[in-house]
Amino acid sequence: MSTPRFALPQGRSRALGALGAAALVGVAATVWLGLFVTPPDQFMGNLVRLLYIHPPMAWVAFLAYGIASLASLLYLWPRTRAEHFDRLAGASAEVGVVFTGLTLVSGSIWGRPTWGAWWVWDPLLTTTALLFVLYLGYLALRRVPGEFHVRARRSAIGALIAFVDVPIVYFSVEWWRSLHQAPTVLNPTTHKTYVHGSMAWTLLLGFVSFTLVYIWLMAHRYRLGKLEDLEDTEGLGAALAERRAEGEAA
Amino acid sequence: MNGYVEAGYVVVLGTLGTYGVTLVVRERAARRRVGQAVSSGPVAGGSDPPEAGVPAAGSARAGGGEETGPGSLP
Amino acid sequence: MLRDAVLVAGKDLRIELRSRIGLNQVGPFAIAVLLLFGLALGPDRAVLAPASAGLFWVAVLLSTLLAVQRSYAIESADAARDGLRLSGLDPAGIFLGKAGAVAAQLLVLEAGLTVGVALLYGAHLSGGLVLIAACAAGTLGLAAVGTLYGVVASGLRTRETLLPLLFLPVVAPVLLAATKAWNAALAGTPGRAGGWLDVLVVFAVLYIAIGTVAFGPLLEDG
Repeated sequence: MSTPRFALPQGRSRALGALGAAALVGVAATVWLGLFVTPPDQFMGNLVRLLYIHPPMAWVAFLAYGIASLASLLYLWPRTRAEHFDRLAGASAEVGVVFTGLTLVSGSIWGRPTWGAWWVWDPLLTTTALLFVLYLGYLALRRVPGEFHVRARRSAIGALIAFVDVPIVYFSVEWWRSLHQAPTVLNPTTHKTYVHGSMAWTLLLGFVSFTLVYIWLMAHRYRLGKLEDLEDTEGLGAALAERRAEGEAA
Repeated sequence: MNGYVEAGYVVVLGTLGTYGVTLVVRERAARRRVGQAVSSGPVAGGSDPPEAGVPAAGSARAGGGEETGPGSLP
Repeated sequence: MLRDAVLVAGKDLRIELRSRIGLNQVGPFAIAVLLLFGLALGPDRAVLAPASAGLFWVAVLLSTLLAVQRSYAIESADAARDGLRLSGLDPAGIFLGKAGAVAAQLLVLEAGLTVGVALLYGAHLSGGLVLIAACAAGTLGLAAVGTLYGVVASGLRTRETLLPLLFLPVVAPVLLAATKAWNAALAGTPGRAGGWLDVLVVFAVLYIAIGTVAFGPLLEDG
């Protein structure tokens, strides 16, 4: 039995566990406050409770995209190029796409009773929908086979091409909608009614908790990516050795 | 109206929870596979080709249950 | 760089003139799309005419995909990237040349589609300058993004499905802005198109710039 030639990533487990616990507690508290403690809104009634969940989803979706873009940029920049930035981008993108999907679903669920439709072409929702598809394209690009550095560079460029687009999309769609006086999530009335008192604190807790959830999920996705890369490089050599050993033992 | 609120919470929490669980499971499985690959590192440092017809012994060696070990790689 | 661009564009366009694939296949495809939209949205011109701009630009977007695929298919079969890489030409020049050739072909296509839309949907063509400006700026943006993603997808077995997935979401603002500009022109209020034309120009400039920088690395990989 040869000694391991490298250390498997298992340090920081305790910190990660603590983070996970904090995230769990935060989410549980948000849910309890959101569903039971806070009062119903004077305009929206109980529907306001969904607004402790939906905006945090959207925030994380865009945060994840920002981090994936930043990591891609850092990977491309020669002075900061490092494997972990590519892995970070990939991890953030996968977690991000989950949150983006949830933003759309939670927005849709809130929208149905509020506007009577499962979907409206609200600027933020529409941009989020496009962001969702951009994410999927990026993830598909990451899966194209190739040597690590080739894949990483290609994905990083792909990420920047796509993500540079998002502000353009947002402003175009916002302008498009403003010409039509349509329902929108960022309604000033909505803001005024529910951002005070216990509702404000619950919302803040929601943002914080789900950001912790994002970080925890991303950390695990990152470690998984690292393990899978290790497996690719080590696995083949070990498979050959294993076969050899079995042949000798038989 | 409340049905929508509950549906929303269930979907969001359920999805995140499921995703988190699958990540942890995948990570454990990957760690096991890499651990095996490392501990069964090259016995002889030669370039002998693998013997023809040696069966993949992945299922016998896998510690966990769900994934087969590196021996099942082509 | 510009010399290489002209060289590459000239080569691509000459191949097109000789093979006429654009004329024989992409053109009919675009017409087919217009017809299918007509079938889908009903014979009532009251529905089709207001939708003309949008349908026109969707047809253009889809045709861009074909034009880009074709642009890389004319390099040697699956070794497209090798051929370009080893040619010794400046990658930025190759990018501009290929994108330019694609844009030129698209503009010709758009001329035909404009006639098609007027004929099939009863679109009342007015505000010609705006229509042309939108076509120019929009097409440049489409060609830039298409050529950029095209080099990534070329040579991959999944290129037919990967390229549309990458391309279409990114050019959504072009579709939006160009349609709005055309709507303003067709409605007889071309003045309203100003802002949308700005969006198209910004998009085109941005992605042409990104393309000249990013094309080289993307060409090398794979």
